[in-house]
Amino acid sequence: MLELRGVRHRYEGRVVLDLEQFTVPRTGAMAVVGHNGAGKSTLLRVLALLEAPTEGQVLFDGTVVPRRPPASLRRRVTLVEQRPILFRGTVRENLEYGLRVRDVGQTAANGILADVVERLGLQPLLRRRRHELSDGEVQRVAVARALALRTDVLLLDEPASSADRAAAGALYHALAAERAARPFAVCIASHQLEDAYRWADDIRALAEGRLSPVTPENLFRVDLPAGDGVKTVRVGSIALVVMTDRTGPAVVAVPPTDIFVSREPLPSSARNVFKGRVTGMAIEHRGAGVHVRADMGGVELVAAVTAEAAQDLALNPGGAVVFSFKATAVQVF
Amino acid sequence: MDFLADGLRRAWGLLVAGDSEVYGIALLTLKVAVVATAISCAVGLPLGYFLATRRFWGRRAALTVVNTALAFPTVVVGLLLYGLLSRRGPLGGLGWLYTWQAIVVGDVLLALPIAAALSAAALHGVDPRIRRTAETLGAGSWRTAWTVAREARFALAAVITAAFGQVVAEIGAAMMVGGNIRGSTRTLTTAVALYTAQGDFGLALALGLVLLILALVVNIALQVLQGRGHA
Repeated sequence: MLELRGVRHRYEGRVVLDLEQFTVPRTGAMAVVGHNGAGKSTLLRVLALLEAPTEGQVLFDGTVVPRRPPASLRRRVTLVEQRPILFRGTVRENLEYGLRVRDVGQTAANGILADVVERLGLQPLLRRRRHELSDGEVQRVAVARALALRTDVLLLDEPASSADRAAAGALYHALAAERAARPFAVCIASHQLEDAYRWADDIRALAEGRLSPVTPENLFRVDLPAGDGVKTVRVGSIALVVMTDRTGPAVVAVPPTDIFVSREPLPSSARNVFKGRVTGMAIEHRGAGVHVRADMGGVELVAAVTAEAAQDLALNPGGAVVFSFKATAVQVF
Repeated sequence: MDFLADGLRRAWGLLVAGDSEVYGIALLTLKVAVVATAISCAVGLPLGYFLATRRFWGRRAALTVVNTALAFPTVVVGLLLYGLLSRRGPLGGLGWLYTWQAIVVGDVLLALPIAAALSAAALHGVDPRIRRTAETLGAGSWRTAWTVAREARFALAAVITAAFGQVVAEIGAAMMVGGNIRGSTRTLTTAVALYTAQGDFGLALALGLVLLILALVVNIALQVLQGRGHA
């Protein structure tokens, strides 16, 4: 649906986005993760056709988007910014804005608004004005305002950053309900891996404006057995020990920084100890860290160590390595 | 003091009696001011929006020119316009010299920089997310501009008031290209200057009071507008 080819975007001469190829699939739920300043917001503004990239092409349904895209094309994609802003007027007027732009009749608009208002629980807020809302409420209204447009592509920049957990849950639930009702592409930028893991089909990591080959790491879909506390789950050929009360389908993640790396198994409290061979090593963009990839009998794990530690351990591709981590280090989503 | 009190008494008498000359001059002034303000704002506000929101080569120079034009002396504008509109001038064929239209042109030239420079400053202060949000919700150029302008509507109302104030109080260009012709191009300011010079202090004062009332009405209208709700 939306595709970037050879895109390089600069602000005041500095490259902030450098993507050879990036595609938002037609009906997928994609998450772009990365630290603050990784280029997520810029990527979304380019995808939203708000900014033309300094170099490269943006394609919509295979057609190159002109530098000043026509409104008809822009109306197929919308973006909710990280710190969204509401216009003057009531919440209801804000929700109606994009529909008025599209000349949607009042009756049809009322129907659409009733849907999103109910999904996001906005009924009590409809008559309020922006200064009467909390940051979380503004964010919810902004998401509803975008959802009401029923665009082919919905881009959300940290949509739950100002929401409490319950509100964030309601927001993702509303998105899921909307996606169940009609197919459309969603792309969410988040620095919270948890949000990304929880609901996206496809997760991409961005670091310093480039797609990062090493993150998100150690992410597995599992089926958690019944019972409380420590559980063992199969991930390919290895057995992963996790500590959780959850049961059923879930996503587990092992943060690379929580993995202890050694050449030989060492006595420790770690319940997860895997022997394998180094398959690759990548130096992080910012310098001091090294991501060590290892094949643990058919399952690839990634650990993060300092450059000095990698040197001390004489880690090399093909060499033996042991990864250890505690059951509590495994995050369950 | 008697002289001043006599003048005020005569002014009050002329206003209460509905003196045709006083009200004729006031009406002409109002007509010229409204037309000139409307034209200068119709051109100046979009220009201000353009200067405030677009990045283009020469933008800084354009802003400097507009800001410099704020301090353009009214008599100089009158002089240049006189040269253009006089029979030997390039626009002499229009036959506008010593007509109210000529005063309108002069006033527009003076109010345009006010409308453009002050609206550029007002619109520059609008959160840039407003424009991006309007665009990402599908608004075209005009609706986006309208949405941004709504955010700054109080400031823009003040810009319009300032432009109106410039036009209604202007005397240099009105005198030079209007000619201060009785019943035809005599405005409140040119009339006040003339009657004061002729020693008819009461009439001059009456016209001055009308000028003040005009300014007062416009400012009250602005305050009423500003008082209507926030956000």
